[in-house]
Amino acid sequence: MIELRNVSKSFGAVPAVADFSLKIESGAFFVLAGPSGCGKSTVLRMINALIFPDKGQIEVRGQDVRTMEPEKLRRGIGYVIQSAGLFPHWTVADNILAVPRLLKWSPPECAARLDALVGLLRVDPALLNRYPRQLSGGQQQRIGVARALAADPDIVLMDEPFAALDPVSRLVLQDELRGIHARSGKTIVFVTHDMDEAVRLATGMAVMNGGLLIQAGSPASILLAPVDDFVRDFLGAESLQLRLLDLVPVRTLMKPGKKGATETIAAGASLKNALNLMLACRRSSLGVADESGARLGEIHLNDIVARRDGG
Amino acid sequence: MAPMPKVHDHVLLTLSCLGFAGVVSGGFMDLAQNRLAKGSAYSLFQAPAFEAAAAMAGLCGLALLSFPRRPKLRSFTTILAAALILWGSCAGAGHFAAFLMQTAPPAARVSLGPAFWILAITAILAIADAVQRGNFGFFARLFIGAAFCAGFFLMAGTGSFDHLSLAREFSNNRGIFATELLHHLGLVGAAVFIALMIGMPLTVLVLRKKAMTGFVFAGLGILQTIPSIALFGVLIAPMTKLSEELPFLRAIGINGTGPAPAVVALTLYSLLPLVRGFYTGFSEVAFEVKDAATAIGFGARQMFIEVELPLALPALLSGMRVVTIQAIGLASVAALIGAGGLGTFIFQGIGQYALDLVLVGAIPVILLALLTNFFFEMLLGLARRKL
Repeated sequence: MIELRNVSKSFGAVPAVADFSLKIESGAFFVLAGPSGCGKSTVLRMINALIFPDKGQIEVRGQDVRTMEPEKLRRGIGYVIQSAGLFPHWTVADNILAVPRLLKWSPPECAARLDALVGLLRVDPALLNRYPRQLSGGQQQRIGVARALAADPDIVLMDEPFAALDPVSRLVLQDELRGIHARSGKTIVFVTHDMDEAVRLATGMAVMNGGLLIQAGSPASILLAPVDDFVRDFLGAESLQLRLLDLVPVRTLMKPGKKGATETIAAGASLKNALNLMLACRRSSLGVADESGARLGEIHLNDIVARRDGG
Repeated sequence: MAPMPKVHDHVLLTLSCLGFAGVVSGGFMDLAQNRLAKGSAYSLFQAPAFEAAAAMAGLCGLALLSFPRRPKLRSFTTILAAALILWGSCAGAGHFAAFLMQTAPPAARVSLGPAFWILAITAILAIADAVQRGNFGFFARLFIGAAFCAGFFLMAGTGSFDHLSLAREFSNNRGIFATELLHHLGLVGAAVFIALMIGMPLTVLVLRKKAMTGFVFAGLGILQTIPSIALFGVLIAPMTKLSEELPFLRAIGINGTGPAPAVVALTLYSLLPLVRGFYTGFSEVAFEVKDAATAIGFGARQMFIEVELPLALPALLSGMRVVTIQAIGLASVAALIGAGGLGTFIFQGIGQYALDLVLVGAIPVILLALLTNFFFEMLLGLARRKL
């Protein structure tokens, strides 16, 4: 779907990206992670031709981006930036419909799409006629995501979209984004320097440093086998085991059992959530329930501790 | 002893003190034996009692109005008190002039004295302040302005001011007043239009080529610092030479003196504030907004029309406002090189030591500037509504 081959880019004398190769499969939620200034945003901005590489080749949907008209390419790729970048002089509705209108959709098509997006992103319809400055940071970013999805692109690029949000809004938007990805099958390329966010969202990820690709793979494979000290440190060496627990759902270690534990946790929650709840209520076992709240079984602290890694 | 009441509006108190000081210290009317002679002053307390009392009541009202607590009520009553001052001093001046002229020879002139002007300025400032603080909407402002204008013209139309020297200077020049007014507007319009035509490409240049920014602004800054009379004078020689060399220029009326060098000078003065305003406007459009627009597929033209222009519009209008008001003032000086305009009356008046003739030119210039300011305020209000 997206392929970068031996791409290099310098700004003046400063190399930003060096000999970078990466293949992102269709339908992936691909996270580019790394410290500030590692070149991850440059990689992202080269995908929709905001920046052209000095060397190397970039293909999107099998076509070299250099051969495409940049505006046309960008209208087919959603884009979200950290500060949302909403147009301050347009209402929320006009902001969301920016790309469909560039693509000259008819008013009824636009209205139908707006309705669909309002439902998809659970935007409060009362906000539609407001201006961006009247919205909170979380609401603005929600609109930023809606604008990126407006013309239903198969690829969405996101440059640290949730970095400036408060922790609660960030978690809510991460969950919704994961849900949208799971349902729509879009290819998402997501840049972040936050390892928790990377592990929570990614189906595939790449860790960058100093313009180089250090390691690529599934989050679990990177967490289990960091290639060097940089990756280990970046992942947070002292909490690596806890991060791994974040990847495994409770259901995998659930045992049958109907009595005992009074506190319950959802089967889809992560082992980290379960451990957290055990510590919080000072118990070594919890009940497991499905979404409707019906008891499925129980989970024990011993099983989490004795678990063999495998993701 | 009763406690001192608390002052809630220091501006009103200051203004009313100014008004009282003016009334006590200065002459309200000035009677001279002829147009050029030095006159003798008459105070407001010698004016016809009814109007003088009204003006004084209004002034006392202003002073008392600095005490009430409620701002909305204060704004409204301040305007009423100020209207009373304006009516009292205008009607009083007209009535007083007629009274003085009854016993004076026909060549005598009655001029408005400093006390009159101080009262008028006090009242106008009080109104402006009340409108500002009362947060009146556009239509309320328009209504207040129109009501005062209507009142003034009604009094003028019914002959209230006929015996005042100012009115007589005006009616002596009534024939050419309209011509000079149009001339003035023509000079300003031409200069602002040409400045826009030059300023827009210049703005594009300084925005695109950062290296040029310092150079262009330094050059325009030097132009701006040349005193206006000097610039008008300096332009005479090259413009004369130019019209001698190129007959077609002479044929369309471009000469060393007259409107052509005046428009050139006004244009040169307009360039710096215009280009600086435009440059600021466009460079302050947030980078993230432009970046997001590019990233979702806006082309250069769409970016300019739909993002940059609307976001820069308030700054563009502010720049236009500065330039237009400045040109209205400077165009008065253009009369010195024979360009006509309202400055004609000002310089004639200075030459003849007829101060009321100076006012025939100066007051319309001030009113034009105020009107322009109001017009741009209105446009700015519309442009900012969404930001």
